[in-house]
Amino acid sequence: MKDEFPSVIFLGQPNSGKSTLFNAIAGHKALTSNFPGTSYKHTHSEVNIEGRILNIIDLPGAYSLNPSEPAERVILSHLFQEKPDLVINVVDASILGRSLELTLELIELGYPMIVSLNMIDLAEKKGVHIDPRKLEKLLGVRVIPTVASRGRGVKELLAAALFCLDNRCPVAPLRWSGDIEEEVGHLAERLPSEILIAGNPRFTAIKLIEADPTFCLGILAEAEPALKHEIDSAKKRIEDKRRSSAYEIMAAERHHLALKIFEESSLVRRGKQLTWDARVDDIIMHPILGYPILGLIFLAFFFLIFKIGGRLEATLLGPLGRLRALLSGWLGTGLLAHLGDGLVQGLGGGVAIVLPYFIPLLFLMAFLEDLGYLARAGFLLDTFMHRIGLHGKSVSPFVLGFGCNVPAVLSTRILESPRDRAITSLLIPFIPCSARTTIILALVAFYLGPFWALGFYFFNVLLIAVIGRLLSFFFKDPSPGLILEIPSLKAPSLKTMVGKTYLELKSFIKFAWPLLVAGSIVLSLLQFLGMDKILNAAFSPLVVHGLGLPQPLGITLVFGFLRKELSLIMMLQALGVEYKNLLSAISREQILVFTVFVSFFIPCLSTFAILWKETGKRIAFLSVGLSIAVAIAASLVVRLIF
Amino acid sequence: MFRLSEAPRGRPLRIVDIQGGEGVRRRLFALGFHKDDLVEVNSQGILRGPLLVKNLTADTSVAMGRGVAHKIIVDLASDEG
Repeated sequence: MKDEFPSVIFLGQPNSGKSTLFNAIAGHKALTSNFPGTSYKHTHSEVNIEGRILNIIDLPGAYSLNPSEPAERVILSHLFQEKPDLVINVVDASILGRSLELTLELIELGYPMIVSLNMIDLAEKKGVHIDPRKLEKLLGVRVIPTVASRGRGVKELLAAALFCLDNRCPVAPLRWSGDIEEEVGHLAERLPSEILIAGNPRFTAIKLIEADPTFCLGILAEAEPALKHEIDSAKKRIEDKRRSSAYEIMAAERHHLALKIFEESSLVRRGKQLTWDARVDDIIMHPILGYPILGLIFLAFFFLIFKIGGRLEATLLGPLGRLRALLSGWLGTGLLAHLGDGLVQGLGGGVAIVLPYFIPLLFLMAFLEDLGYLARAGFLLDTFMHRIGLHGKSVSPFVLGFGCNVPAVLSTRILESPRDRAITSLLIPFIPCSARTTIILALVAFYLGPFWALGFYFFNVLLIAVIGRLLSFFFKDPSPGLILEIPSLKAPSLKTMVGKTYLELKSFIKFAWPLLVAGSIVLSLLQFLGMDKILNAAFSPLVVHGLGLPQPLGITLVFGFLRKELSLIMMLQALGVEYKNLLSAISREQILVFTVFVSFFIPCLSTFAILWKETGKRIAFLSVGLSIAVAIAASLVVRLIF
Repeated sequence: MFRLSEAPRGRPLRIVDIQGGEGVRRRLFALGFHKDDLVEVNSQGILRGPLLVKNLTADTSVAMGRGVAHKIIVDLASDEG
């Protein structure tokens, strides 16, 4: 779907500040975070630069063009299908040697490109002084120093981009060592004309020699016996000469070239001081101290949300109650009154009960993400994840799940093995997302006390562990070991955190709120027509006899499938009480059972949709079945205990 | 020579060989771990948890499961100091 506007692709290794740079140009439209692989899908944006419209695209971070995780495959197919007019390679200047390995691959690819030498301030702080002009000469590509988080260098970068779009900035390939260069050139010449050329013949030849034979190009070669023979003999000649596998030699060649370019273009001052982040890291990653700190962070997280949310909620509930009283006096008791009340409950419930907890949660999540704590939590929790058959890399999707299960399922793309993806995706719907946290805080913490809510979380985590353990019996394939980059800590910027919160909030208002309002109005209508009783009677064997809940709650549980908060708002409406007087209609034990059931039963509609899309129909329905079974079992246990 | 999983903490080590299956090796190369790089074990998770390995050559850190660290053969760097 090539656009009429020139397309500019942002590509870089994870945590190179790619999305931050993209945001600086496109405005608050893409999410960024300090965890490898969290920009899980690409973001398009059309921007107007000095009167010219560019279609700019932010792709997920990739360490290399030899993909080893699903997220990286997206990039390759995008690069080949859409043939961008310009590639902006964002490079983390503070780890230039490593970052240049991808740059070298992109130069081989040969699309017009510019290097954005990002976080140049961080490099200076580490005692690494890079000469951009020299780097430019060595790479043969324009190099623009930038500090994306402060918007430095963005103007120069855009000017260079416009220049390159007009003048095609050609990229000349860098040469390999003699023998490898010979093999590459030889193979490139012999590519049959009908084979799909990726990028250019030279790049295709390189990838045929080094890429995983099971991945696209290799499969192509399988279909051409003559070509396969050429490739195999080229590989064999290299391997015989260098006594190592071809892919390792190619990687080592690139590594040495990258290091050489780094050394020639940079001046590293020795005896650099221990920076603040190294000192902080020594403490939060400490083999013993790290764990109490992790616990404290979680507790602080929970109490901050509860305290801030509770206060906001108390302030907002008063006016909401008065508004409803005013309205009922005004509209009487007819259909109009029912609909009006439904509307106010849906709108007001969103403002007064949901948002007070939702906003602090989003903000704190953004803080942890930006700081780079998620990867660290992955390191600390790896041991425990092994107990449930996964490893530390699944921690980030899980933590993201506390915000919303949908991006969490998407972010499982960073997991290399399909087995880990399947198990993680099946467990994510059990993570209490912000909607469920709202219910837990508004019902359990508010009516039974904050420690009950903490207990709830503890029970929840335990349940996930048990389910994970059980699931890992069914998925037998071995899981690859943990290899997870720990990015350097970054002081979170208020601007990014506010931006991210705003973005999430916007999508809540756009998608979830209309559902809340519509749900409330539908319930009002059903109540007015008396149809709610028929539905409730149908559910009463489960709701009344099984769970011991008041019959009117049956219908609200069903609506929880659309959106979990909807169950909370509709619960008040169905019971016909004010939030403050909830205990007059339902006991504390029933509140607990209700929360347990709503939390675990069925992934919400959006989560179901994303599970289907990402992991297939089988896993999506398995997830539904699993969660219904777990919800019923867990609620019965809770009912029996209390 | 010993395996990275058994290496002393806080000492510069030189990677002598990266063994193991193709998947693991490719992943390590992509994250900038190659033969001859200098690395250092900085920390570890409790209960035989993963190792926090700093690559001194690239100035990056990677959390590595013990199984993975077991595949990396290292030696004390001679130019220590």
